Amino acid sequence: MSLLRRPPLLIALGVVVSVAALYLGAWWMPFPVGLWLGLLVPRARFSIPAGAAVGLVAWTAPLVGEQVQYGLGPAATSIAAIMGLTGAADLPVALTILVGTLLGASGAWLGSAGRALAPRGAKPDVGRSRASEPSLEPASEKAALR
Amino acid sequence: MRFVNLGAAALASIAILFLTFVGLGSSLPALGPAFNPVTGAWSMAADASSYGSQTLHLAGLQQPAHVVLESSGTAHIVASTDHDLFLATGYVHAKFRLFQMDLLRRQGEGRLSEVVGKAALDSDRFELQLGLLRTAQREWAELPASDQSRAALEAYAQGVNDRIDEAESRHQLPAMFTLLGYQPRPWTPIDSLIVKGDMTQTLNFTDTPLVMALLSKTLGPDLTSEWFPVLPPNQQSPYDPGPYQPRSAPAPVQTMRAVNAAEASAIADLYGRLGALPAGLIATGGASNNWAVAGSRSASGGALLAGDPHLHLTLPAIWFQLSMDSPGYHASGVSIPGTPIVLIGHNQHIAWSLTDAQDQQTFFYEEKEDSAHPGQYFWNGGWKKYGTVAYDIPVLGGPTDHLSVKTSVHGPVIGERGLTTSVWWAGNMPSQDLGVLLRIGQAGDFAGFRAALRDWHSPTHNFVYSDDKGNIGLISAGYYPQVAQGTPWLPMPGTGEYDVTGTIPYDQIPQVYNPPNGVVWSANQRQVANDYPYYIGTSSNFFDPGYRANEISRYLAQDKKFTAADMVAMQNDTRDYLASEIVPVLLQSLTGETLNATEKAAQAGLASWDYRMEVDSPAASVWWVFWQEYLSATFDPWWKSHNVKIDRADGGNSNPLNDALGQDLEAWTLRNPTNPAFTLIGSAQNAYDVMRQAFHSTITSLQSRLGADSSRWGWGRLHQRTIENLAQVSGLDYGPHPDRGDAYTPLAAPDFPSTHGPSWRMVVDWGAGTFQGVYPGGQSENPASSWYADRVATWWGGRYAPMLAAEAAASTAGAVTWSLES
Repeated sequence: MSLLRRPPLLIALGVVVSVAALYLGAWWMPFPVGLWLGLLVPRARFSIPAGAAVGLVAWTAPLVGEQVQYGLGPAATSIAAIMGLTGAADLPVALTILVGTLLGASGAWLGSAGRALAPRGAKPDVGRSRASEPSLEPASEKAALR
Repeated sequence: MRFVNLGAAALASIAILFLTFVGLGSSLPALGPAFNPVTGAWSMAADASSYGSQTLHLAGLQQPAHVVLESSGTAHIVASTDHDLFLATGYVHAKFRLFQMDLLRRQGEGRLSEVVGKAALDSDRFELQLGLLRTAQREWAELPASDQSRAALEAYAQGVNDRIDEAESRHQLPAMFTLLGYQPRPWTPIDSLIVKGDMTQTLNFTDTPLVMALLSKTLGPDLTSEWFPVLPPNQQSPYDPGPYQPRSAPAPVQTMRAVNAAEASAIADLYGRLGALPAGLIATGGASNNWAVAGSRSASGGALLAGDPHLHLTLPAIWFQLSMDSPGYHASGVSIPGTPIVLIGHNQHIAWSLTDAQDQQTFFYEEKEDSAHPGQYFWNGGWKKYGTVAYDIPVLGGPTDHLSVKTSVHGPVIGERGLTTSVWWAGNMPSQDLGVLLRIGQAGDFAGFRAALRDWHSPTHNFVYSDDKGNIGLISAGYYPQVAQGTPWLPMPGTGEYDVTGTIPYDQIPQVYNPPNGVVWSANQRQVANDYPYYIGTSSNFFDPGYRANEISRYLAQDKKFTAADMVAMQNDTRDYLASEIVPVLLQSLTGETLNATEKAAQAGLASWDYRMEVDSPAASVWWVFWQEYLSATFDPWWKSHNVKIDRADGGNSNPLNDALGQDLEAWTLRNPTNPAFTLIGSAQNAYDVMRQAFHSTITSLQSRLGADSSRWGWGRLHQRTIENLAQVSGLDYGPHPDRGDAYTPLAAPDFPSTHGPSWRMVVDWGAGTFQGVYPGGQSENPASSWYADRVATWWGGRYAPMLAAEAAASTAGAVTWSLES
């Protein structure tokens, strides 16, 4: 069964890959994951939010973990001070999440826009999928599965 | 439309990737690595929680070692070999202070621009001209292979690099590295010597001869000679009062030569350039204390020692507290991150601390040049070619800067506009200070201590000593440059006749051992009496005015048995000695003067004042503002009438110039109230007239600044202290908060706001076997760590913490142990 039939799984996979990459210093991973989503998923109205979601979750989850494990208050306060925003400890958190989100979203947007340039025959036809069974599969793959 | 969409997506992606990968130079870091929630700046949270008991593997370790960390972060390093001790020290320093260490070496090596951009380029160019890097390279090259300090430096570098490797592999570099977007290069022994050079520069590289030349040009040679004499005009408390060994050639008496317009213009240009450098690169005076009390004069029967070196107070602090134990080295105290030894502290038998000696160590030479001999200067009867050294300075966000440094026999050329000026600076002499400090740590008595200091050259320091046998001593160790002839307080011709020819013999430098009165003390004052037969500097270049030394001397002259508590009280003493001299004269001068109600209240406050600069004291405010008004009323008319361009008061902050004039004013007020200096002011005829005038303007000024109610003029409303973040992140400062003390109190707090002061306080009582200390800061440079500024409150309140041995520390609540293995 293709992952394209399971949008949440697709996003979850992207998140797992992106979080693992963070620990290796490959912070940029939400961008190629988003790009992949954009190229793979036919509808921009889904792929771009999906890419953004990957980046958002991937960059938020470790923060939540660190908050639970260490407490991020002093770090957030210190980073804000270093940024010249003394007293605005929420801003580094917001900026961090924003960076991850933008990486995923921009990658997905670029992938989606690139996909739109492909010959029409090669494009998946997900728009005609049954409404009761949402799927992200390209039409050709869907046919093959049948 | 699809192409437009693709173009927009591509542009947005490029913009986002550029911001995340590259950033915007020095104004915005690359956002991706900086804000990576796992390995970016957020890692400071994990780092702050990483200090628990654990086993660590360090490459190069010969045998297992361990580090005990007290709940306050004080580190106790125990190793089975000396090599492992220094390696572990390097690791521990880097674990807690790697960014600070990198900043310190970058400052001295002229490599700050590489990470912060062109804002640091002037500093980098100056440092490379001055030559800390060249000196460190020479020191390393000249260090014998068999010298124990060479092995210590190499092992220390290995330990630092172990930590760098570990931090990089775990993505745990300090947050400032990720925010600035660079990684530290490996540590080398030369880096440690650079850090030592930084300290030497900030303590004794002065520009005072340039100031004197400009004053001589404007005020005239006669007034400048009178107001800035070699020998202090006021009462002093030299710790080594003599008698001295006679010398055939007498020390020079200060006279000023005339300075012509072209020379003055060139000097003004150089002075302006040096003045524009960041604070700390030019020494502008010191404020440190140390003293010792012999066992015969202490309540415990053992010798007492107190030391509080005063420096720029920063977070992280310049100090890291630790004890070091190995078969060949045992010392407990404070170290400077980047260097492998205890600088101030004690071992099993002796204790030591230091203050800046502040003799003249910087001499300026005007090189004689001729268009017929390009690239050469005239010296000792012939033309000599300048040496040159080329440097490339990488600049973040800009092109690499190329610098060519010229050198003469005197030292580096640091001014070439109108006049080629080179500088002879003692800090450029190779000085194997780390070896000396190692031998001090290994010394068991005064003979060993004194023998070790024989090789200390720069910076000249007053080393106070006490031991477990009740002995005390003080040695002002270092290089005391002597010139063949001429006026070393001014720039001198570089033709050879005025060169530095040597130093005062070690046996004849200021020093005492077990003096009859049972006490020794230093506070940056001139160490010797006026009949000392050598030139060591002038009242403005750059000894302290002596008020702290006088106060300490007065306190120690009491007929009592002193305790460690007395030492603590003295280190936190806020009694202004100058005020105790001048205020009675002021009150006398006000007798019969018509005063308004506010002035009468201020007068009454002064009359009952104990001369202590406490936060809630209105009299302290009246005194300090009065003294500044008195100085201004006396000297500003001269400055104006002679068109003197040198800033005398520097915004009310202390500087050697104002301190020297203050000594004059003190002396005239007490002994020469009809000095002609007072007659330039309106109808004033003497000191008392000017004092009355200054008192009226003081009250007017305070009413304007603090309101009409003089009971609310507490000193803390004028005087605050800030402990600044080392990276100049104001949001990570401590303060400003109202604070006690002033520039002249033993608890020194110069300037507004005060950013200098007691950087470490230590009190040793050999009789009771107690050692205690505190510094304003914390062991960790990580601002998210509970050890970032946790000691400040203790320090601010005048409290201390016991300096424990490793075994005792291990059993304290909250202590953790790091087991170190190869």
